[in-house]
Amino acid sequence: MGLSRNVSLSTALRYKGQGPFLTFILHRIGGLGMAIFIGIHILASFLSGDVGNAINAVYESWVFQLFIFFCVLFHAINGLRITIVDLWPKLIEHEREAIWLEWAVFIPVYAIAAFAIIRSALGG
Amino acid sequence: MEVTLKIFRYNPEVDQKFHYETYTLEAEETDRVLDVLERIKGQKDGTLSFRRSCAHGVCGSDALRINGRNMLACKTLVRDVGEKITVEPILGLKVIKDLIVDMEPFFDNYKKILPYFINESPLPADGKERLQSAEARARFDETTKCILCACCTTSCPSFWASDDYLGPAALVTAHRFIFDDRDEAAAERMQIISETSGLARCHTAYNCTLACPREIPITQAIGELKMVSVTGKLD
Repeated sequence: MGLSRNVSLSTALRYKGQGPFLTFILHRIGGLGMAIFIGIHILASFLSGDVGNAINAVYESWVFQLFIFFCVLFHAINGLRITIVDLWPKLIEHEREAIWLEWAVFIPVYAIAAFAIIRSALGG
Repeated sequence: MEVTLKIFRYNPEVDQKFHYETYTLEAEETDRVLDVLERIKGQKDGTLSFRRSCAHGVCGSDALRINGRNMLACKTLVRDVGEKITVEPILGLKVIKDLIVDMEPFFDNYKKILPYFINESPLPADGKERLQSAEARARFDETTKCILCACCTTSCPSFWASDDYLGPAALVTAHRFIFDDRDEAAAERMQIISETSGLARCHTAYNCTLACPREIPITQAIGELKMVSVTGKLD
């Protein structure tokens, strides 16, 4: 007899794994976000009329565009970092620096895109 | 200084669910968390259960989640974790009582990778040692340091999802024997760890390396094994 071994999502997310664990979580959120985007995109193309238009309105909104661009860009840059350390395991010694570099690339690129999306949304 | 410990409690004979109990006591900032736990058990609440043995970071029996991160209680000073300390059992293994978890699934995975030296060749002509160069020994030096505390395996999200996954500790031991040039079962071990419950489930979350009390570069060792599984070459 004993407590179940299952680890709930909230317990898992509370584990203090520092920077690498944060990128691990964001990578999964990014992948899930892209799957949702593609899913509703396909769904909208099958559904005509008001329902299809309503779904189109969701993923064409600037808030969703900010979210999906975050997902795509972070997933791509983090995926590139993981691919590099998988190919050259010795580089894992520099994991901390690699994650700082990843944020250094991500933040300005995302900021420029977010600025453009928001300016366009505001009719600028 | 006064420290407050919030400790995970579960007694299978009484409790349906776990709960937390809080204890406040005096401690030196150079005390180890294990010292404080022993003081609670000795002076405040004798029903508190936890594992400890050597108390010097060698046996690995007091792996706990302290302030949300896996550590050995005997290697963690109060000043490193602060005055408010939360102590919980490691994740992904069934809790038997309080801070004690069932380690069997962990050791079952460990046994799968054949964690012992295999060499069926006759002994050298002098009938003594199988000599090894210093360079060949250095190749797997880091992964000989594992004390099987399970800090790494129970910090791994892939292990939380499924205890079929061999886990970092088993893979570290596999690395130790696969890169030992005196051992003759590297191919057999590579086959075991290349199955779906092995290397492929490492997603480079890096929690294992940060949790290891022996500072073994675990993610790097697993990365080296991944390269062997792809290239089929040990170098």
